[in-house]
Amino acid sequence: MKHWWWKSLAIVLLLVASIAALWVPLSPALVHVSPSRIAPGETTVNITGYNTAFRSGIHAHFVNDGQVFCPQRIDVLDDTHISMVVEVPAGLREHMTDVVVDGLNYPAAFFTEGLGEGTEETGCSTETVTTSHQTGFTFPNRSILYESIRNLHFHVPMWFTMIALMGISVWKSIQVLGNSSLHDDRKAVSAVHVGLLFCALGLTTGSIWARATWGAFWTNDVKLNGAAVTALIYLAYLVLRGSVPDAYKRARLAAIYNIFAFVLLVMFLFVVPRLNAIDSLHPGSGGNSGFSDLDLDDRLRVVFYPAVAGWILLGAWLYELRHRTLRIIELQNA
Amino acid sequence: MRTFCTFLLLLLGSVAAQAQVAPSWLEDKLYGGGKMNAVVVVVAIIIVGIGAWLWMQDRRLKRMEEKINK
Repeated sequence: MKHWWWKSLAIVLLLVASIAALWVPLSPALVHVSPSRIAPGETTVNITGYNTAFRSGIHAHFVNDGQVFCPQRIDVLDDTHISMVVEVPAGLREHMTDVVVDGLNYPAAFFTEGLGEGTEETGCSTETVTTSHQTGFTFPNRSILYESIRNLHFHVPMWFTMIALMGISVWKSIQVLGNSSLHDDRKAVSAVHVGLLFCALGLTTGSIWARATWGAFWTNDVKLNGAAVTALIYLAYLVLRGSVPDAYKRARLAAIYNIFAFVLLVMFLFVVPRLNAIDSLHPGSGGNSGFSDLDLDDRLRVVFYPAVAGWILLGAWLYELRHRTLRIIELQNA
Repeated sequence: MRTFCTFLLLLLGSVAAQAQVAPSWLEDKLYGGGKMNAVVVVVAIIIVGIGAWLWMQDRRLKRMEEKINK
């Protein structure tokens, strides 16, 4: 039973993390405003919220370059829709006007016409007391991502698991170079096999997520192409193994290739996407910030780290199964 | 080798998809429910992918069992 503890741990971690990843609500946010342009004069503005619970008597105000003005009337249509009548003052300084409803900020909501040297003080209150908030544990609600931010807990651990498995593989390959052990060679190839499974899952899940957020199944993002090249490098590892009939020769050749492959993996997945000269859509790459810039990022981390640990343990489990199967097959054929 | 072929198909599938424009029903599905459907599809892909891998592993063991039984 003592060898089973980490497999039980894998199941518990995956269960808890996956349930949390699917169940935790998103924090409320404003997701849509119309019209997108405002000009001086009386204007009706419609605002759509997500996971909000708008109630009559809520507070709303507009901010333009530090200058504040308030709507004359707010009609709450339902939990997620309000309609406001606002007298847009003439002479605002900035093109972009923000709107704050019930403490929820929608930056650069309106393109503003009729600019000038500033307006007189409206005496409008900017209190941000909120009544409609989801309380308790929530995930950040980020425009473009919305609910798909949950994929962080499914798509990203695929890559962490693949990297862990390729790490096991290169470690076994280094041992093969020292001891020419076919046993370690079998472990190395088993880890690559399962690593490629997670690589395939990472590519396909990433493709779906990319369609939902960036609008295309495949973009020329440096991290995407790097991941695809990495997959091909490891496929070539399997092809190389298949082309050498002598077991000891195959073990040594594959071990040497595997070390180069891992170095390239590190280059393509970690080094190149972080070069400042290269733009990447991926968070944490190029000029793009990671999820850590969100004020609620710790709430993602609480679920993300157990998910990563669970998936890595599951990957280790599959690797062990693969290795044991190969071993029995070899013993049987011997 | 079978893993290899499956993987290649999956990879080529995802690369080839870049060329085509998704039909609007798919777009509506992915964007629906505050983009929750994208999460459902991702979870489904992972379960199906790992399930298929285990199934292949199962077949390998089965072939060997049949050999032993003979």
